[in-house]
Amino acid sequence: MTGKFLNLTAASFVVLLFTTTPFIAHHSEAAQFDTTKPVKVSGVVKKVEWMNPHIWFYIDVKDEKGTVTTWGFSGLPPGMAIRKGFTKDTLKVGETVVVQGFRAKDGSNNASGNILTFADGRQVFPGALELGTVPANKP
Amino acid sequence: MVMRKSVVAFFAVLPLVACMALFTQFSFSQDLGQVHEVCSPHEGRCLTIRPPRVPATLNWKMPRTRDGKPDFTGVYAGAGFNHQVGPNDTDTPIIRGFDAKIMPPTKPGGDAILFRPTTGDLKIDDPIALCLPYGFTSQIFSPYAQQWIQAPEHLVIRHEFMNNFSRVIPLDNRPHPKDLEPTWGGHSVGHWEGDTLVIDTVGLKEWWLDNPHPNGSLWHSDAAHVIERVKWVAPRVVSYEVAMDDPKIWTKPWTEQFHMVLHPTWELLEFVCNENDRCSQGNCVESDAQKKR
Repeated sequence: MTGKFLNLTAASFVVLLFTTTPFIAHHSEAAQFDTTKPVKVSGVVKKVEWMNPHIWFYIDVKDEKGTVTTWGFSGLPPGMAIRKGFTKDTLKVGETVVVQGFRAKDGSNNASGNILTFADGRQVFPGALELGTVPANKP
Repeated sequence: MVMRKSVVAFFAVLPLVACMALFTQFSFSQDLGQVHEVCSPHEGRCLTIRPPRVPATLNWKMPRTRDGKPDFTGVYAGAGFNHQVGPNDTDTPIIRGFDAKIMPPTKPGGDAILFRPTTGDLKIDDPIALCLPYGFTSQIFSPYAQQWIQAPEHLVIRHEFMNNFSRVIPLDNRPHPKDLEPTWGGHSVGHWEGDTLVIDTVGLKEWWLDNPHPNGSLWHSDAAHVIERVKWVAPRVVSYEVAMDDPKIWTKPWTEQFHMVLHPTWELLEFVCNENDRCSQGNCVESDAQKKR
């Protein structure tokens, strides 16, 4: 079941990558994040910063040795998130989630938060601005 | 006897008429325009645009002010959205620009002003990443709410993005001042042509035309002259037309039409770009949440 779930999320991630390219990303996501370096982590929500220009949320990720690293993820702007139904209470401290995005260009433990998956399989898209629009890429 | 038959017929037909009225009011809806693609001029990347879908209503009356002018006061989703409004009074923010297909040929030297290949300098490539203004005309495509506040003598357009960028537009058709110092918002004056509000803008700084494009950005020059034409076309839907004349770039003026959709449940939020811009130039600032204890 877990394997199936992961395959599905991976597939939807790939679909997202190749179907939601707008004119280009927003608020210099291209300058901040490296789209050749996808990131996928599982961990516990440590903090949510509900601030402009984009919300940030932090995930404590434990490795095999038990060492905890705190990853930061950039999401939607608060106004846009609210209008998409993603409110300040959607993501709760202490919750276990899986986050997928692209790593910060400086190599730090920061990334864009493009897909957020809760333990029950619900997915929200804190960082994907253009969901619902599928551009027709032409050669 | 005849009277009785008439009464019976009246009551027999009444539910049918009521149903037809309800059906007409709530069942029909129409798209204001066609689904179409807008394309970036470089690499031809395109985006599908869906027009607003509105219910067919018999008794809609254009909102008007006490002095009889069309009233545009309200919070809107503008050209930076796909407008088929879904549950919870929301629709889809998108990143789009003007449609390259409708732009006329450029003049000699015009393309060098219009298209700036990516340089590595964010002041050129993506100034909003440095929290610089989006400016007019880029602000037209803001995928955030915008609030229009109309008074008899002025219209105030207040955008959520970027840093609540605002325009205060006198509606008395006064002349533009001479020797304007170019600014990000330019100088705008408005007047009425029947039920259409016409806003004329000059004095713009040479700046972004719309949004980022593949491998570069589009710019207008400081000679840009923009005329916006705004009118109600359906319940909650305003036609927003932009005529662009930039004689340093194009051989002739061109016009593109958009829609704005009124969102009664929306409120404009504060937007302070510098508040938490943690990775603005590719170098992230460590958050308190990430500091070792």
